[in-house]
Amino acid sequence: MSGDATRESEAETREHGDATREPREDPRSAALGTEGLSKHFGGVVAVDDVNLTVPRGEMRAIIGPNGAGKTTLFNVVTNALEPTAGSVYLDGEEITAVSQERRPHIGLARSFQSNELFAELTVLENVRIVVQTASAGPFAFDLLGDGRAVHEDEAREILDHVGLRAHADTEARNLSHGDQRRLGIAMAIATEPSVLLLDEPTSGMGPGESRETVELIQSVQEEMGLTVLMIEHDMEIVLSVSDRITVLNQGEVLATGTPEAIQGDETVQEAYLGGMREEL
Amino acid sequence: MSRETASDGLVERVAAVDLGVLQVPIGLLAVAVLLRPVIAHDLVLGYPQIASSILIWMLIVASFNVLMGYTGLLSFGHAMFMGIGTYSVAIGLSSFEVPFVLAAPVGILISGTIAYLIGRLIAHKGEIYFAMLTLAFAKSAHFLANYDPGGLTGGTTGLADNTLPAWIETSRGFTYVTLGGGRLEWYWFVAGAFVVGMLLMWQLVRSPFGRTLVAIRENETLARAMGVDVRRYKVWAFTFASAFAAFGGVLLEVNNQGATLSELSIITSGDIIIMAVLGGANYFFGPLAGTFVWMFVEEYLADFHTLVLPLTEVPLVTVEVSGLLVYWQFFLGLLFVIAVLISPREGIFGLFKTVGERLVGRVRGERE
Repeated sequence: MSGDATRESEAETREHGDATREPREDPRSAALGTEGLSKHFGGVVAVDDVNLTVPRGEMRAIIGPNGAGKTTLFNVVTNALEPTAGSVYLDGEEITAVSQERRPHIGLARSFQSNELFAELTVLENVRIVVQTASAGPFAFDLLGDGRAVHEDEAREILDHVGLRAHADTEARNLSHGDQRRLGIAMAIATEPSVLLLDEPTSGMGPGESRETVELIQSVQEEMGLTVLMIEHDMEIVLSVSDRITVLNQGEVLATGTPEAIQGDETVQEAYLGGMREEL
Repeated sequence: MSRETASDGLVERVAAVDLGVLQVPIGLLAVAVLLRPVIAHDLVLGYPQIASSILIWMLIVASFNVLMGYTGLLSFGHAMFMGIGTYSVAIGLSSFEVPFVLAAPVGILISGTIAYLIGRLIAHKGEIYFAMLTLAFAKSAHFLANYDPGGLTGGTTGLADNTLPAWIETSRGFTYVTLGGGRLEWYWFVAGAFVVGMLLMWQLVRSPFGRTLVAIRENETLARAMGVDVRRYKVWAFTFASAFAAFGGVLLEVNNQGATLSELSIITSGDIIIMAVLGGANYFFGPLAGTFVWMFVEEYLADFHTLVLPLTEVPLVTVEVSGLLVYWQFFLGLLFVIAVLISPREGIFGLFKTVGERLVGRVRGERE
């Protein structure tokens, strides 16, 4: 980001004092939109009236303290959890009623915070099964032929892409933590998404590995023209890669804006970044 | 010296043989062809009658493993679906004079249909609830057959009269199939059905459909997030497995000359689970190994009253063991517990595979 732009946004912040309260955009106009999305667990409100509008091709970071509802937001957006209220839009179409297993087939994919893998299967087979599913649909009576050979080439290509080629025949559970994170991303990519939700893709990685993973995500995003929502704790990564940042606190959207605007936002600083002011 | 080299070469060659896609078909053929002569050998059992029962049960236990080993579904009611096949044929023959060739496919179809409907109802339930619900359904089926509705099922005594198809002949303890003037031993008929049934099951688990089942077993949450309709796959796995169980049940009807309540009993369902786990749920051949050990030990020990040491020809000590061996199930149960504690999915087959691979590895290592 150039110095000019930073100064500009700082000026803007000073002018309006509250630059991150952007006017509500139409969630139907974006790659991914939510309207009044809420999730209650009994009396606990985990996601509270969230309105998101993520334009096509944007890299959106979702940040917030632990328990802010970030992962729950992903779970509600993907329908892993049924929302208590609100709507979800994908490319202008309302998909609130579309089942979880249908969503990857219409372009909405996710990775997990924990390493969710087909642990005892090979790395190749992990990806291959996803490619097979993407091609055959949520259910198919594919009873002929050797399953392990179906879409094997496509799966290998994806492994090449994410740098796991050498581990194709390794059981997923025997991969290093970082490679397991990468495999998670590879599987999400294998669904050929238009919108990709990544839940802490670099968690548990060293600085070098984190950088590689972020570069991988950026290159994939560019190539596939993806819209990416990424939950991330590492502020350095967040500030350097995201187009815009959404700050969640206690299930609510506290602010949304460019990295510069978020850094300058007083509400965010008070509620969340307080202790990190020096860091920023 | 030269002899040593030759034998090493042979071991190495045998170890290096890669049968590829033919491995499983050849293995199945070998089981079907060798089982009877092996157990009929004087050093083993000395008589072959039990061989056809073992093959049929292998098929049934393997069908259960489609659920447990491949899909990760634990059903306590698998015997019910087998028993539906057995009873369908028995009822068809004894009450309605329906020929076997019609009653058998109808029985398999009924079993599959009931499994589909029950599956639709319970496949999405959590592991424990699914297991409990299959138990409840199995109990109901047992109750129903015991109640003898309309005099169809024969209640506690089961069905024994007029339950054999016309083309089955028995003489001197052996059963024969008479087809178009020719006469075939029942065992070879069963062996053919076994190979066909097992090959169909093998294709089911190796197909893209079967690989998706394995993915569901490995991680249901992930499978769903990646776009797999987990519930429908589970319903169809349940349906196919039950139809294969009924296929075994149909053969069992002829083999046992009728149907008894024990074929619907949850104890039988429990035995099926134990045989699958004992053999190794992780392997296609695991259930076959488990069934063989379970049934062979039962038969072998039933005849084993006195233990003569050190040899029958040189009787120094004679121990009366029949009092102890009536508890054979206890000892096999103990073996089962040990197998599960050591490695719950490996079983006997996994153990032999590991040992075999180490030996092969050692041989190869020494050569290099």
